[in-house]
Amino acid sequence: MARLIRTEKEVEGRFEEVWLVVEEDPLTQWPAGPLAVVGRDAVRKDGRERVRGEARYTADVKLPGMLHAVLLRSPYAHARVTRIDFTRALARQGVRAALGPGEANGLVEEPEYTGQPVAAIAADTLEQARAALAEIDVEWEELEAVLDPEEAVARELFTMETVRSERGDYERALAEADVVVEGTYRTSVVLHNSMETHQAVCEWIGDTLHAYVSTQYLWGVRDDLAKELGVPGDKVRVVCEFMGGGFGSKNGADEQTYAAAVLAKKTGRPVRCALSRREENTAAGNRNATIQKLTVGARSDGTIVALGGEFINAVGASGWSAMTEGPLTMLYACDNVRTVRYGAKINTPPMKAFRAPGFVEGTFGLECLIDELAEKLELDPLELRRRNYADSNDGKPFSSKNLMQCYDLAQSHWDRRDEVRARSDSTWKHGVGIASQIWFGGGGPPSYAWTRVGSDGRVTVVTAMQDIGTGTRTAMAQIAAEELGVPLDRVDVVLGDTARGPYATLSAGSSTTPSIGPAVRAAAADAKRQIVEIAAQRHHLEERVISIEDGVVKSADGNLSTPLEQLLELLEDAQILGKGARGPNPTGMSVLTFGIHVVEVAVDVETGEVRVDRVFAAHDVGRIVNALGARSQVEGGIIQGIGHTLSEVRLHDPETGRILTTTLDAYRMPTIADVPEIVAEFVDVPDEHLTNLGSKGLGEPPIVPIAAAIANAIRDATGADVHELPISREEMLRALEAAKQKERRGAPAAV
Amino acid sequence: MPELQLTVNDEVYAVDAPVGASLAHVLRETIGLTGTKIACNEGHCGACTVQVDGVPVLSCITLAHAVRGDVTTIEGLRDHPLVEAFVRADAVQCGFCTPGQVVSAAALVAAIPEPTLDEIRHHMAGNICRCGTYPRIEEAILHWRG
Amino acid sequence: MELLRPSSLQELDGGLLVAGGTEVVPLLRDGLLTAERLVDIRGVVPRGVQDGSIGAGTTLGELEADPSIPAALREACRLAASPQLRNMGSLGGNLLQSTRCWYWRLEYPCRLHGGDRCHAREGEHREHAIFANDFCASAHPSDVAAALLALDARLRTTRRELPLAELYRLPDESDRRTTTLDQGELILEVLLPEVQASAYLKAMDRKRWSFPQVGVAAARLAGGEVRLGLAGVAPVPWLIRAPEELDSATPLPRTAWKVDVARALVRRALAAL
Repeated sequence: MARLIRTEKEVEGRFEEVWLVVEEDPLTQWPAGPLAVVGRDAVRKDGRERVRGEARYTADVKLPGMLHAVLLRSPYAHARVTRIDFTRALARQGVRAALGPGEANGLVEEPEYTGQPVAAIAADTLEQARAALAEIDVEWEELEAVLDPEEAVARELFTMETVRSERGDYERALAEADVVVEGTYRTSVVLHNSMETHQAVCEWIGDTLHAYVSTQYLWGVRDDLAKELGVPGDKVRVVCEFMGGGFGSKNGADEQTYAAAVLAKKTGRPVRCALSRREENTAAGNRNATIQKLTVGARSDGTIVALGGEFINAVGASGWSAMTEGPLTMLYACDNVRTVRYGAKINTPPMKAFRAPGFVEGTFGLECLIDELAEKLELDPLELRRRNYADSNDGKPFSSKNLMQCYDLAQSHWDRRDEVRARSDSTWKHGVGIASQIWFGGGGPPSYAWTRVGSDGRVTVVTAMQDIGTGTRTAMAQIAAEELGVPLDRVDVVLGDTARGPYATLSAGSSTTPSIGPAVRAAAADAKRQIVEIAAQRHHLEERVISIEDGVVKSADGNLSTPLEQLLELLEDAQILGKGARGPNPTGMSVLTFGIHVVEVAVDVETGEVRVDRVFAAHDVGRIVNALGARSQVEGGIIQGIGHTLSEVRLHDPETGRILTTTLDAYRMPTIADVPEIVAEFVDVPDEHLTNLGSKGLGEPPIVPIAAAIANAIRDATGADVHELPISREEMLRALEAAKQKERRGAPAAV
Repeated sequence: MPELQLTVNDEVYAVDAPVGASLAHVLRETIGLTGTKIACNEGHCGACTVQVDGVPVLSCITLAHAVRGDVTTIEGLRDHPLVEAFVRADAVQCGFCTPGQVVSAAALVAAIPEPTLDEIRHHMAGNICRCGTYPRIEEAILHWRG
Repeated sequence: MELLRPSSLQELDGGLLVAGGTEVVPLLRDGLLTAERLVDIRGVVPRGVQDGSIGAGTTLGELEADPSIPAALREACRLAASPQLRNMGSLGGNLLQSTRCWYWRLEYPCRLHGGDRCHAREGEHREHAIFANDFCASAHPSDVAAALLALDARLRTTRRELPLAELYRLPDESDRRTTTLDQGELILEVLLPEVQASAYLKAMDRKRWSFPQVGVAAARLAGGEVRLGLAGVAPVPWLIRAPEELDSATPLPRTAWKVDVARALVRRALAAL
């Protein structure tokens, strides 16, 4: 039964009111804990093809007659193209077409950051296209560029409206507090740097565009391209069966997608437009830098009475301003909160969503501040967090919250700190730190799936979803297998093609499992119902006594026990088709994920080297579907987080705004040698209010608290307060020196 | 264009390639072995790792014409026990770096059949994984024989 | 472009010399080097270790695995670059590698490119030099050169024999080069004297595959002389003989931290001898 509802849809922390067609979902949730298939370890369905190099990524798509397109990018942080002439470029061997400013979405006449594209050239080979770039005659008028976010705020240069939030009476509560702690925290620009760069291959066949795109959102790209080209959505097919990472940077069509599509139309040939790694490091999106001025006031018994923050998001030339104040306003029970958040417009390559945008940055500031409060109060940091546990989100109940259980799981690891500290010697200081995690992850409608069951008893789940490496295929297969009662190896998943399968949501914002999972279950249930009906008719039984277990159709009294393929052989080459949709989200509730990290570090106090030795992570994300895949997600998020904590930073030349860290030897991501011992545990209790599955997303939670936990462990080890990411040796040595000065002045050392 | 003879996975290929062409480019575009991925094209990430006479090298900065020795790509290792070990250990997420990881790992276990964790970390440090599958890769290599 | 593969030194006749290619191939692709003719010298340069003489064609990977070479050199090789790069890169090539300064690599018209400014000095210089950084603030990235400098190595080229230190020069107004090789001159061998003990310590930004923020090689030679070779602190590998020489460092505002790191590593390297 479909109905039209008005509801709040959340993606990456951004909320919008939307009209949605939803189907009711009559299924009741499975009981908690590992079931026959769901909740257990499952190796990836597509693992073998990825490992063997057989998987075809957009980077591997090669079409006959394919041209290669490259983008001409602004060398200036702010400029206007006053003249552009392609005559010489087009005369070169192999060059087939060019696009100037305005001729495709993303090619601009007034670039507002270094690297912003203004033109595109397509040629027979990549080398010819690149050589032709230099032959484009361009005249630029350089314009004023603002590179400093604080200057932008002072001059009220914003990419979107300033966001203020307030509850209670912040001023009074702060004035009445027994203890006040203030701090300024800074995070740097970090880059997604997926291993497969942004790219698209576009081909027109008749009046239909076939676009092979490395993307996290097939249907979004379809919609973007349809609008750009002025064609109906059904005339655009988007394909992405395997993609080499996104982390939020590939949530829609970008300049290279549009350029490829328009050039393909213009030339009548397929066109590939792929970013080089240098371009990826320059203008493919980033997690923006932040400056956070935070204040917390508390009573001497540890009750937090006031929380305030001024947040500057150095967004870039355009883009949205992430909810950096989210953790501060949502994590702890505090009646008096005031925040203001600025989206500073500066002439640098702009942000794109990056794995929990805003909350990673905001958790660093908040959780360091909370630990500094604990130190001042002489309270155990974990106890302080327990005392300020929020039972609701500013009055709104949680659909489920098991953060206290996460704290309990963490206790024994937190209790190791004396033993860890005891390892310290004159050079290496050891310490333990914690940080809490809060984030979204409820997903939402719409998403749809089909299940086909053939006469051989095999099941195929079909949905035009993408698997960005998180293991979507496998989780969907598990859900279908569990619902239908068949072994996992009898289930295949077809995804990645908008021409093959119904609409599915994007793979971002930790929304995949909670969005498409329930749709798959509903589709499997629909198919099961039909199978049970057939069995009932064939064997003259009531439907309610029939079940399917391990691929065998059974009756409650044991008289019927027939393999599924035997029951269905009458289908021959036809099939059972089940259809399912994602039902609505619970109303009037906050659907959030929670967790805690306990980190052990060692610091070389003479050279400033920081070593992360061990991370314990406990996460509450509702029902776990793939236990093995879930642990991999936690490890992956933690490792990526160690990168932005210790060694990753995008640097630009302060004079010109040009990006300096354009290569992977300058932009340093963690190697296998940088990895600590990681222990991941899950509460694994279904959210009883959330869909027929009770699962939330896990893609982002693990990256949220790791930086703060490392910083807090450093403080525990050395007494030094690090207030800036990345914690380079320079920053570590500065903080150590400041701690030494503080000690000399007689201030109390760390507890 | 000058002709070039390459032995790849025990097969001999005669191809035309300009002198400046990289081995990665020739493997992928001319010979059609696309299992070797190019992620940075300048020798910094290891995704393009292949073996030359069993030694892991970066095919994106190896000139195809300067190759001296037999090339082994991921396609030549498709039946290596490491493949199943990687799948079992879930040492793959997006998978774009994985072929290069397997090539480096295969060379490691050929030289040191039972490597320690330190040896694994030292020898695999040139293969970047943005998804962070490193702990799973360690496990895959520790238990590669099954 | 053509590629030649001579089989004897006599056949050498100009062109851009390349061994492992880890330096030359990326620079050619970026246009920082140009050549009509490439000459693969792996057939003519000696390779292998023999009684204190190391062929310049020996790879870092081969040296990393050789227990007969001094500890400082072996450790410098072990901690350099990535495993694949160590398999490809030659000892001779490593000594001749260019700076990682981003301004240089992005072809800003800086002093090393013949221009009249050092963009790093006024701009983003947090990874740059703390010595001899007035004219050019670039840092030399070779761990191996620092080790050989401490070990008082000598080089034999196709034209002469010289102490390693003389391979390098600071760039100046009249000459922007950082090496002293003549056109077409080829390093053939590295010659090592007897040493009593040596060590190499490296501070880098991640645990592996990272250029030296500060690298310190220490060696006590047969006669008792102590030498320290530093990487990452000057446009060329930097020799000091005592920790006190760090007091004369001239750090830039954002490289002062390197002095502290260097002090600690120098002390530790000496203690390891």
